[in-house]
Amino acid sequence: MKIGIPRALYFYVYYPMWYGFFSSLGHELRLSVPTNKEIINLGVSHSVDDICISVKVFHGHVKYLLDKKDVDLVFVPRIASEEKYKYTCPKLAALPDLMKSAFVRDANRILTATFYTRQGEKPIITAFEEIGRQLGDSDEKIKSAVKVGIEYQKLATKSLRSGHTFLDVVKNIRDLETLIKKPVSKQRYTVALAGFPYDVYDTFTNGDIISKLEDFNVGIVATDMLNPRVYNHYSKYMIKDLFWYQANAAAKGGMYYIDSPDVDGVISISSFNCGISSIYQKLLDLYSKEVGKPVMHIIVDEQTGDAGLATRIEAFIDLIRVKRGDGLVTQENNLHGTENGVHVRSL
Amino acid sequence: MSHKKITYTVPRMGYTYAAFESFFQILGYDVIMPEPTNNETIKEGVSNSPEYMCFPFKILLGQFERVLEKNPDRYFKMVSLESYGPCRFGYYSPLYYKILKDKGFTNFEVVNVEGIYPPLYKGIPRFFKKLIKLTGWHAPWIVVKAFVIAGWKVYATEQLEKKLYHLIPREKVSGSTERIFDKAIERIRHAPNKVKAIKKILNEEIEKMDKNPHVERDDLPKVGLVGEAYILMDYSNNLDIEKKLAYMGVDVDRSLRVTNWTLDRLIKAKSHKAHMLEVNKGYLDFFIGGDGQESIMNTILYKKAGYDGVIQAQPFGCLPETAAKEILTKVSEDYDIPVLSLAFDEQTGEAGFVTRLEAFVDMIKSRRQIKTHEEKESHVTVKN
Repeated sequence: MKIGIPRALYFYVYYPMWYGFFSSLGHELRLSVPTNKEIINLGVSHSVDDICISVKVFHGHVKYLLDKKDVDLVFVPRIASEEKYKYTCPKLAALPDLMKSAFVRDANRILTATFYTRQGEKPIITAFEEIGRQLGDSDEKIKSAVKVGIEYQKLATKSLRSGHTFLDVVKNIRDLETLIKKPVSKQRYTVALAGFPYDVYDTFTNGDIISKLEDFNVGIVATDMLNPRVYNHYSKYMIKDLFWYQANAAAKGGMYYIDSPDVDGVISISSFNCGISSIYQKLLDLYSKEVGKPVMHIIVDEQTGDAGLATRIEAFIDLIRVKRGDGLVTQENNLHGTENGVHVRSL
Repeated sequence: MSHKKITYTVPRMGYTYAAFESFFQILGYDVIMPEPTNNETIKEGVSNSPEYMCFPFKILLGQFERVLEKNPDRYFKMVSLESYGPCRFGYYSPLYYKILKDKGFTNFEVVNVEGIYPPLYKGIPRFFKKLIKLTGWHAPWIVVKAFVIAGWKVYATEQLEKKLYHLIPREKVSGSTERIFDKAIERIRHAPNKVKAIKKILNEEIEKMDKNPHVERDDLPKVGLVGEAYILMDYSNNLDIEKKLAYMGVDVDRSLRVTNWTLDRLIKAKSHKAHMLEVNKGYLDFFIGGDGQESIMNTILYKKAGYDGVIQAQPFGCLPETAAKEILTKVSEDYDIPVLSLAFDEQTGEAGFVTRLEAFVDMIKSRRQIKTHEEKESHVTVKN
């Protein structure tokens, strides 16, 4: 069977697992194209108006796959919980229901199961068994396929921990072991990206922040590269843990990077009308006020203009450079030179 | 031991604020109620809270901030009802604390009341710790008495409200029932703390409202209200939607009230959930927090009870309600019931709001006419 996987939301977290599972069962995978203008338009026209842009984009990807004739089923998992007593956003927990009511005619082409990816392999296996039964595979095959899937996910986590972005993982999904061994080059400046993986890595919706930063020779770290153990002690500052695993990762990871001496600044990315990110952005704001490290919030929507974003990123990098005493970007090759690291403008 | 005199401040819940007030008064504390939502509280709340935070949070922050500003010489305990679940409702109190501390207020602490949540060996002691922090050390019978009196006051207020919205579209002199109702609410508020006295006042006032000249009729269009609890229950947040609909000549019913909300969440939680899953089958059979599932369930139940339309009131960007809104479009098609979704935020203008309500009511009325017309015609054809 040919199974379509929308390149949005939890694709940016669990793609390796799904890849391992479906391909070892012998099913063909069809990824939707990376987000583009057309997909956003599809999504906006098929969803309600005040839902967040990430979910709108997801609508677009699903519609794109449903319109393709060579895709039999579209995989829309319900990721209910990723850690004990931590849940996902209500909109994501209701995702298959949303898809079924948005695309009524194709409701039977949506392949879904409820995932509790929190406590080891058992809940994952039950969810995958449900999927395997819908696809008509034998139990033994499913069991070995789940193991392959989990193995892939572990390798992906390892390569994230070694400093590679998830985009690299998707590119090198066939050969993750060499990716883990590949060293990450260190740049003079490092900027941390805090946010949900699907906002950080969706290069079209967020105006390609990652490559814009790379153009300025800035190294990138993201909150999903961190092991939760290093930042769990920040729950004391937060008084009460947030209920969403990814939001916790963004908030605490952001705080960890604010404290970290290797990181020059933190950019938090969120999508318009995302309710959860409004909480951790406030927390990051208050925390950066105490520590004194620059934090910038970027909120993306379907109308993000490129020029405005480029200006903001330039200004942020200027700020980082001035803090380090390197002068502004525009004066890098300038004849007047700098004095004690601070640029002096001669009139 | 601190010798500061503690004053309580509690979120308003529509007309039922009197009950919360008397709960703490029986325990022997001072209570200062925040003023009803108005432009100033909203302005205050919006300017200090995160941009995309839920609207109820902004309202409450503004109200609490006004209370703290006006009484700098008192020490406050701010009560915040919370749940632990996938909705943002559970993270209000830490944010109040952090934002108000950042603003420079020191004369307050936030007490959050939340249910028992797993793990149980931590959850149950935490619950009782919070309860003691909320009420202070008192003899248990005083706390129970306070609960009972508060419960009765909530019940009495809701009975009066039901009567009011039933009588407004039927009264002969427009506005006369409301005047009686306002006086009745004041009487309930200042009622002596005895169940008998509250009962007596309730009966008297209901009788008074019944005596107000009106014409009993049951051919009015019926509209049900569903949506997020706080927006729905407090009249000052939803721009008095119930009263406005009632004055337009509509029989209006609100799905969530303080009594059934607490009963469904605390005492009848299990059967309530089972009932919800049964009704919602095929639409949303997964717990998503907030009142999203209730909105879908109540819409279906309203249709089955013969209502002509449903209005969903939600704060802008509410997580469970936006999910419910998308599914409600399908419910509305399948069950053939008009659903109007209204999102409330700080920019909701009254004029535009009234226009939308009027258009909706007109639509419902014309649908009713068409229906009765069709029925008549079919009747005629049968005769032939």
